[in-house]
Amino acid sequence: MNIDYHALLPEFILAGTILLVLVVDVFLPERAKWFAMPIGLIGVVGSLAGVLSLIGAGTRESFGGTYVVDEFALLFKGFFLVTAVVVLALSLRYFREGGFYQGEYYFLLLTSFLGCVMMPSSRDLLLLFLALELVSAPGFLMAAFRKGDVKSNEAGVKFFIIGVLSTAVMLFGMSLIYGVTGGATKLAEIGVALDGVSGEMETLAFAAILFVVVGFAFKVSAVPFQFWAPDTYEGSPVPVAAFLAVASSVAGFAGLLQLMFVAFAGQHEFWVPIFAFLSIATMTVGNLVALQQTQVVRLLAYSGIAQSGYILLTFALVTDDAASNRNAFAAAVTYILIYGVMNLGAFAATVAVSRRHPTLGVADFAGLRETAPVIAVGMAVFMISLAGVPPTGGFWGKLLIFQAAIERGGTLGPALAVVMLVNSVASVFYYLVVPRQMFLRDAADPSRLRVPALVTAVVAVAMVTLVAIFVLPNVFARLAEISTLVGLGA
Amino acid sequence: MSAQEYAFTVLAVVGGLSAIAVVTARNVVHAALYLVVTLLSVGGVYLLLGAEFVAWVQILIYVGAIVILFLFGLMLTKAPIGRDTLDNQQRWLGALVGVGVFAGLVFLIQEAFPVQDAERFETFHATTDAVGESIFRNYVLPFEAVSFLLLAALIGAIVLARKDDAS
Amino acid sequence: MIRLPLVLMFSALLFSAGVYGVLARRNAVMVLMAIELMLNAVNVNLVAFSSSLHQMSGQVFALFIIAVAAAEVGIGLAIVILLFRTRESINVDEVNLLKW
Repeated sequence: MNIDYHALLPEFILAGTILLVLVVDVFLPERAKWFAMPIGLIGVVGSLAGVLSLIGAGTRESFGGTYVVDEFALLFKGFFLVTAVVVLALSLRYFREGGFYQGEYYFLLLTSFLGCVMMPSSRDLLLLFLALELVSAPGFLMAAFRKGDVKSNEAGVKFFIIGVLSTAVMLFGMSLIYGVTGGATKLAEIGVALDGVSGEMETLAFAAILFVVVGFAFKVSAVPFQFWAPDTYEGSPVPVAAFLAVASSVAGFAGLLQLMFVAFAGQHEFWVPIFAFLSIATMTVGNLVALQQTQVVRLLAYSGIAQSGYILLTFALVTDDAASNRNAFAAAVTYILIYGVMNLGAFAATVAVSRRHPTLGVADFAGLRETAPVIAVGMAVFMISLAGVPPTGGFWGKLLIFQAAIERGGTLGPALAVVMLVNSVASVFYYLVVPRQMFLRDAADPSRLRVPALVTAVVAVAMVTLVAIFVLPNVFARLAEISTLVGLGA
Repeated sequence: MSAQEYAFTVLAVVGGLSAIAVVTARNVVHAALYLVVTLLSVGGVYLLLGAEFVAWVQILIYVGAIVILFLFGLMLTKAPIGRDTLDNQQRWLGALVGVGVFAGLVFLIQEAFPVQDAERFETFHATTDAVGESIFRNYVLPFEAVSFLLLAALIGAIVLARKDDAS
Repeated sequence: MIRLPLVLMFSALLFSAGVYGVLARRNAVMVLMAIELMLNAVNVNLVAFSSSLHQMSGQVFALFIIAVAAAEVGIGLAIVILLFRTRESINVDEVNLLKW
């Protein structure tokens, strides 16, 4: 059994940091508990350096090909670690001033990110399952971290039950796949074995794929499995909601991309209609319900559901044609990354406002142009980008999916493109609600909002990134292009 | 039918019936006890299938630890007794879905592995040292991942369940 | 010497009972018990295939699932006890599990 220690360096550094945070926390006096955050931050940056050191080092396999570090994996690992930096930055003041268990929180958060970092490298059913659990199990606990608040407790219970249930359904599918393929657990082997399965056995294989897809549909909050997301996000501490909406759901997509484009690619005729349905239902319901929201975290939750719908659309574009699959895959990866940036930014702005208005109604954003100009401009950019309007990165993201859909051809591709276009136009209405409050209404309390420097920095960087992506889309497009999975379109 | 198959049938009937009892019992403690019966029969099935180590882990962890946790949970939350307090209004929908899933799965299994044509396979005896060697040779990374998961669960559960002095 | 489909049908029965329990039960602990039945169904499948294919991997998979299940029950009960302390009830429909 070969172990490539350099390829595992990011995981080792992160794992070491997790244990360090846990141990140091024991010795910190009550007033200095926040010190766990800078320690975690240094560890995450170190882990990021580990990822950077692997760029250009080629594809590296460990543990008999079950753990692969390739460009796809590196891209997502980098994304997750940057997300970790952002969530840590958003958490510092929120958790320090809120009377939370800080050391334990940072420990759980980093453990969750360890799962995220493992996810894109896992090329084996067992590892995929464990990485997914490592992401969600600390998530259940963090969602309930506002211990005295019923809403937070309910958020935890709801997220937990849905999470465990979806795992059970997914595992049942995996167990059937293990049997149908004659004992394959590696994704590439499953792909080969499933192509050889025929006749009555194939129907069972389809059922197994359906179970796995349903399990993941819960994780990425696809309609009709979305109902937990708004309540969970609303009840969680806001930085945790940011983590769940970005890292946890992107981890779900990273797993789903590998399963669908590698392991189940040969069965696309069976699952493409399922994804077409999921995608249309998810974006339509997400957008329609978002129109009625008056609480910003719930608004972002439904917006996130709608965005999941756009990402799911790319799965419905898979055909026998390798080139068109590559397009769809690149569009999915690009959109996921841009979605991450704009959503993190929006949650950062929400964290800033939550210091004065913990209820976070839409009206609480009124007059933000005067009380916190940087946050206001940033939030406006994020909302415009989420709606897919230029001059922001979100526009390119949507354009790429749109192009991929048109290029797929047939009736399904253009039909999905049209549904997406209609949905994007409808979404502009609710995305502009918050900017209207910020710029056209006046605040009840016109004094300056004191925003932590770290939060302002996150908002500013995310804003600049989104505009930069619009100006220089080629850099980002290239990033996604190089990250093609092994065996894609086979 | 072989002797093993007779034994399996007994275990499957007992386990299956008590599984149904777990989800229909009106008394929460009875439900937990039926769960013990189901878990024990599943352990017995593992033994018949030659998976000795998994069988003993099933009995130690599931029956020994998880059911006890369930009982503690039921006691600490003063779980009520009676159909209306235990089951919700979607009971019939649930029954429909449950029966539908069962019928669908049985149909698919029968299609894929027809019972009348199925061979009685020679069970694979996995010795404990073979299992151990496999875990520590081929599954080191999953093992480490699980250890982090258990650590997180342990610490998180303590943080959430302990009573704060402040609140 | 057992026929594989019989074992798979036993697993299907456990899984369907679990599905019913998840949909019909109100009490969070009871829902969790139903989910444990579903996880047992998964393990029965894995061990049955592992035994008939003469492969170790299914059994190892099952062992990992048991470990994860134990962790999840621990987490679940902590959250449920927390909810009970603030709300004096752990019925999931009062938690508005199905609210849009």
